[in-house]
Amino acid sequence: MDDFSFSISRESTNNDLADEYDVVILGAGPAGLTASIYTSRAKLQTLLIEKEALGGEVASTDLVENYPGFPEGINGGELADRMLEQSERFGTQVIYKDIESLDLTSPQKIIKFDSKAIKAKSVIIASGTSPKDLNIPGEKKFKGRGVSYCATCDGPFFNGKNVAIIGCGNSGLQEGLFMLKFVKSLTMVEFLPTIQAEKILQDRMKTHKNIEWYLNHQITSINGEDFVSSITIKNRETQKEKQIPVHGVFIYVGLTPNTKYLGDQIKLNKWGYILSDERMQTSIPGVFAAGDIRDKDIRQVATAVGDGAVAASSAQHFIENS
Amino acid sequence: MTHIQEKDKEYLREEFSKMKQNVKLVCFTRKDSCQYCKMTCEILQELQELSEKISLEIYDFDQDKERVEYYKIDKVPAVVIEGDKDYGIRYFGIPAGHEFGSVIENIMDLSNKKTSLNEETKQALKKLRKPLHIQVFVTPACPYCPRAVRLAHQMAIESDQVRSDMVEATEFPQLSNHYEVSAVPKIIINDVVHFEGSLPEKDYLKKVLEALEK
Repeated sequence: MDDFSFSISRESTNNDLADEYDVVILGAGPAGLTASIYTSRAKLQTLLIEKEALGGEVASTDLVENYPGFPEGINGGELADRMLEQSERFGTQVIYKDIESLDLTSPQKIIKFDSKAIKAKSVIIASGTSPKDLNIPGEKKFKGRGVSYCATCDGPFFNGKNVAIIGCGNSGLQEGLFMLKFVKSLTMVEFLPTIQAEKILQDRMKTHKNIEWYLNHQITSINGEDFVSSITIKNRETQKEKQIPVHGVFIYVGLTPNTKYLGDQIKLNKWGYILSDERMQTSIPGVFAAGDIRDKDIRQVATAVGDGAVAASSAQHFIENS
Repeated sequence: MTHIQEKDKEYLREEFSKMKQNVKLVCFTRKDSCQYCKMTCEILQELQELSEKISLEIYDFDQDKERVEYYKIDKVPAVVIEGDKDYGIRYFGIPAGHEFGSVIENIMDLSNKKTSLNEETKQALKKLRKPLHIQVFVTPACPYCPRAVRLAHQMAIESDQVRSDMVEATEFPQLSNHYEVSAVPKIIINDVVHFEGSLPEKDYLKKVLEALEK
């Protein structure tokens, strides 16, 4: 564990807030950070608000290998760091805050937090997604007692133990490879009959002998007394159930968009993702969406960055023409 | 060998040029059986070299008993960050990975003598009449942990009743086992309120105040 990095990501030292900003960006992941780089360079006064983790989901990714410019791959936290530094360099003000309410529909947008109301000419929503729950017995009870959604955060607690990963998409395999640094064995469970992750990740996993694969299996419960001690899985073809002893369960079964706080003022698709056009324009003039929170097919750092640049340019265009 | 990258040093030098008051870093180390003591003090040394407003004192946990007692240090590596006084801010374990940003934030908060907590939180903290000890268990790769640490440390700046520790969970397995830490951030307040995850400031404050009633 000696190969520490030293992340300089943090809130801006200047946390005195203006009453009004040209652009307020919600969410400091790759989409929001890219948008802020562009709006700040356009000399638009920009406030970037994050509620949880600077860098967003990517900051909890051990290794990003498919973002161009880093042939050996780059630690997600370090990539986020670089983006944040770049954004601050051009004058973005970055703060941690929890939004209390938003009024996006009037010409002047109002963002409320800490009993303050900040005005904005344009808003870019880039608040991303959160890991989806399984909603099975035991999941809630054992959160923080063996159930986790962040391998990079909690992986070290499972040193020498047996761990299950639920979901064999890119996240499941990527985090599984990270967990192999610590665990005695991995149990990989996938609902579908095939592994969904990129071929390169599958090949890497297959070089390890301490992995058992359960494809076309559904996890039906997480069991234990005070801590997780096993999972129950069901073969979807034979309906036969099996109990597997594990100490940890890491869940990667998809994402859920962080759109609840927006209420019903903006048009969403049936899964709660924001509907937007190719200019990232949402159903409300002056409000743009970027990154994983949009209704789109591919959710990657590369696509989030692209969305952020387009959203920023659209916001600039909107401000200049209104 | 240096730990902080040269380009980050340049950036931090510029950041530290905005410091108003002096800040003192105090590092507690031990010769044997402390894997990250040396590295922790080396990092602080590198930080100290970036600004005249930052000073550093290094003490040995086994020999400098008076200082150990004064700062109430019970494990190492330990870091104290002091502004115009000791606000009770401690880092136990190496402040690496995402926690390094927390150290920078603390230095700037103490130097500028202000926090970004909201008014309601500040008012509630002013009314505290009983001591509160907040321990935030983290791991270096956890991006959700710095906000939990920052809120606790800022509460310590706002109230003399609050002591706040960051604890790097993997370096203190016995303590982590004692508090059954298997996910981070895990926050323990006065040993009576426990919760996991990075809560919004309002909810975090509620938990802190809850500890006073128990």
